[in-house]
Amino acid sequence: MESERDAIPLLERLRLTRDSRRIVYAYLAAVLLFVVGEIVHPGFARLDSVTAVLTVASFVGLVAAGQTFVVLIGGIDLSVPWVLNGAAILLVTSSLGEDSRALYALLLTLGMGAAAGLANGAAIAFLGIPAVVMTLAMDGIMEGLTLGLSGGMTCQACASYAPPVVQAAVHGSVFGVPAALILWVAVIAAVSFILSFTRFGRQTYAIGNNPLASYLASVDVRLVTTLLYAMSGFFAALAGVLLVGFGGQASLGMGTPYLFQSIAAVVIGGVYMLGGRGHYLGAAAGSVTLVALVSVLLAMNMPDYGRNIIYGVVILLLLLLYGREEKEE
Amino acid sequence: MLAMAVIVYCAVYWLEQAALPGNFEITSTVNNTMPLVLVAMGQAFVVVARGLDLSVGGVMDLANGLAAVHIHDNLASMVGWSVLILIVSGAFGLINGLLVGVGRLQPVLVTLATLAIYQGLAIRVLPQPGGSIPPLYTAALVNPNRPYALIYVMLVGFLWYAFRRSSIGVAIFALGNDEQAARANGIDTLQARVTAFALSGFMAGAAGLFLAANATAGDATTGDGYVLSSIVAVVLGGMNLFGGRGSGVGVIAGAFVTTMIVNILFFSNIDPLYQSFYEGLFLIAAVVLGGQIGRLLRRR
Repeated sequence: MESERDAIPLLERLRLTRDSRRIVYAYLAAVLLFVVGEIVHPGFARLDSVTAVLTVASFVGLVAAGQTFVVLIGGIDLSVPWVLNGAAILLVTSSLGEDSRALYALLLTLGMGAAAGLANGAAIAFLGIPAVVMTLAMDGIMEGLTLGLSGGMTCQACASYAPPVVQAAVHGSVFGVPAALILWVAVIAAVSFILSFTRFGRQTYAIGNNPLASYLASVDVRLVTTLLYAMSGFFAALAGVLLVGFGGQASLGMGTPYLFQSIAAVVIGGVYMLGGRGHYLGAAAGSVTLVALVSVLLAMNMPDYGRNIIYGVVILLLLLLYGREEKEE
Repeated sequence: MLAMAVIVYCAVYWLEQAALPGNFEITSTVNNTMPLVLVAMGQAFVVVARGLDLSVGGVMDLANGLAAVHIHDNLASMVGWSVLILIVSGAFGLINGLLVGVGRLQPVLVTLATLAIYQGLAIRVLPQPGGSIPPLYTAALVNPNRPYALIYVMLVGFLWYAFRRSSIGVAIFALGNDEQAARANGIDTLQARVTAFALSGFMAGAAGLFLAANATAGDATTGDGYVLSSIVAVVLGGMNLFGGRGSGVGVIAGAFVTTMIVNILFFSNIDPLYQSFYEGLFLIAAVVLGGQIGRLLRRR
């Protein structure tokens, strides 16, 4: 740490810790990508194009919110794809595209997501199943249920549209700012508040740093773990609702990219994958950076299959980079 | 466990079809299980070393796609490309191993990232399901008339036997049991870890070849489900997820049990679309029960 401080006296004077420095990097990277995008593809940094990138990033950002919570305690949520997908399909099949059923469908869908997350958390906290195994199993359970109950998307209700209210809410805008973005800003504020200013947030960091010490300091480790996974499920379902409201209809496989994206966003945002350090402010910037990166590359005629490769490469590069930084101290 | 599954399978089959499973059913069960046997065995190598390989689905996709595009109806192409695909798959496993071992990263994160990369490459190779596999190739790997594929099952069993007795096998087991102690005893833990991942990639590649041979065509997404299935088979086979313990014969049995569960569901008129639902449930049940039994044994 000493040599690093000497090397960057400016950052030291600004009193940036390594964790907040990473968050700054994530924001700088996002801005840089918009500049690069403008150079290779003029018009990329225009307001409407930036808004479009931010809107897409908001879907990633919501999933990343849940992922951040569980990564902060050294966990991971692999059940994102089918919780999200199941939520999207549940919304259209339970509402049948009718406004009168929209509220009921919304509550049902978000409740389903939270319940799936709750089951993850309870099994991890109380039965001691490794998080990877439990959430992978949950992903399979949700996939099987979604495919089975919808008859492989052949059911009559499956072709329904999202209720017009939901669609209008997602597509609506206030003073030119899309509603999805407003919701995301609210989520950023709420999650940041929880992490930074509540007992629950401090307990989360404590568990991530040392579960045993937290337990001895009378933190209810099991309860907090369970709640964190429940929130991850809730946010995955919320993203599913927004996506189906955005696109109108649900489809199979719509949740699949969000696992890699949410992990990449969390890693770019400087959240420490072993838990205990990092902030959602970083992961939110990471979402924007990731979506901007993919948009720039698509604008440069990168073929579609390249997206998956980009997610993987970004995750690996940053893990190696930040892992190195860790070792130097 | 395997005996139980066979009995339940026969019972359900008999109830539904009023006859015992014949040659055709046995052959198709063995042929359908072959990819899972191979990929689960690969997964087992990594699990013994206290890791987890989520990228096996991507490697299978890629092997499957390469096979469907490049293998043509002559001997040189069949043998040449099979060998090449196995080498490429092993190399991808090696990359995982190096990232985990040399880069000192968590296996789950590395293989999740490479899963994304390998899936992307697979779609690059075979954008739409299609391609073709010559009938001779299918006949050689998964003869549709006779359960000749059992020979390969035995081969896999023998591979485990050899692995268990080789010095690298001992090193991987030692690494999974206690890394510090292994290193203190002069075992090259880096080499052991990298080898485990390379073996997993190699086996996943072989599984992709069998998958393509069985389907007589390629699809760059069919391997994805095997990430979950391979872990289910490994856990049902009695392997300890925290490394260092487990048997290859158990894993082969676990693979057959996993496939038979799906067949039983099919014969008892449950929609096969629910397959992953039951796999997920079985995985949780097996992990919980396995842990309980282990705890009981240790208490004695």
